[in-house]
Amino acid sequence: MGKKKKKEKKAAPSKPCRFCVDKIKIDYKDDALLSRFLTDRGKITPRRITGTCARHQRMLSRAIKRARILALIPFVKEYYR
Amino acid sequence: MKNYECVYILAPTLDDNGLKEKSEKFNEIVTSRSGTINSLDAWGKRKLAYPIKKFYEGFYFVMRFSGNNEILNELNRVFRFDDAVLRHMIVIDENPVPEKSE
Repeated sequence: MGKKKKKEKKAAPSKPCRFCVDKIKIDYKDDALLSRFLTDRGKITPRRITGTCARHQRMLSRAIKRARILALIPFVKEYYR
Repeated sequence: MKNYECVYILAPTLDDNGLKEKSEKFNEIVTSRSGTINSLDAWGKRKLAYPIKKFYEGFYFVMRFSGNNEILNELNRVFRFDDAVLRHMIVIDENPVPEKSE
């Protein structure tokens, strides 16, 4: 054993935070907006992929969790068994 | 007095009268305890993202009100004991409706 995986150091192209640029308000009732920040399994997409800033990611994750309670968006999507 | 936003989901088995009755009942809880209803928004029947109490649909209501802590306790209590309420959530209203200053 002792395989060493070479880590590729790729600088991700910095995307601007969509909420900062467009000045969208994050609302937990807006399920169309929130579902854009979910993976196809229903998980929250990480910041490094969406480019959301820390502040808005925090607000977003709170909104997603609230929307899940209200059954607007799923906790898990049940497929790919 | 704080502004709150309350979302509740009613069972899809209720008819129009039943829905009206329920929403009026909840409104009265707020108004009878010196609170004010700022808006009541009925979304109508919506599909749930996952089944709740073996229902796949529900009637959504969004109520914005201002009031004191007493209302929250009473609303939470009533919601919990009401079988027609599938889900409820009360949060602080982050974008309150601008109120007319007196």
